[in-house]
Amino acid sequence: METAIKWQTDMKMAIQQAKAEDKPILLDFFNPG
Amino acid sequence: MDTVTYPQKEVTDFIAGNIVPLRVASDAMPLSKHFNVKWTPTLVVLDVAGKEHARTLGFLPPEEFIPTILLGMGKSCFDLDDFALAIEDFDRLIQPYPRSHSTPQAIYLQGVTRYKSTHDVGHLKKLYEKLRDEYPQSVWAQRAMPYRLL
Repeated sequence: METAIKWQTDMKMAIQQAKAEDKPILLDFFNPG
Repeated sequence: MDTVTYPQKEVTDFIAGNIVPLRVASDAMPLSKHFNVKWTPTLVVLDVAGKEHARTLGFLPPEEFIPTILLGMGKSCFDLDDFALAIEDFDRLIQPYPRSHSTPQAIYLQGVTRYKSTHDVGHLKKLYEKLRDEYPQSVWAQRAMPYRLL
């Protein structure tokens, strides 16, 4: 099912966004199947 | 998580407003090795520098997802000595989610945070009394027992 969550897929980009927005990061490791 | 928890509007709204979501496969190197991932789903709360402060393993239903992440966010602030924000994050968990599995730990950590920011031991006694009265079976009530003597 599609979700509305806008996932980052790159750690560096996530850190960049987290610093810009002053937010923590939720890192989800999923089963690729 | 994809079929039950993540599609919930409350969950997507919470993520959009509070935390940067990053998703990678459990076998993706080098992150998988760096975070020592052995099973999925593994959820890790990181600070803005990418340092780990909390993690969970296994499925989280919608009613546990937000409190679990709030606990991780509070722990992150606690670790970073940002006591005011830690207390706020724990409050955002304790007040609306009194039945969550994360709530007793949040009460414990909030009391400890208040003590660390004021050096008033009354906060430790209060956290013990709240856990004793409202969550007597919790492991956190047990861990707070020494504070009954204060």
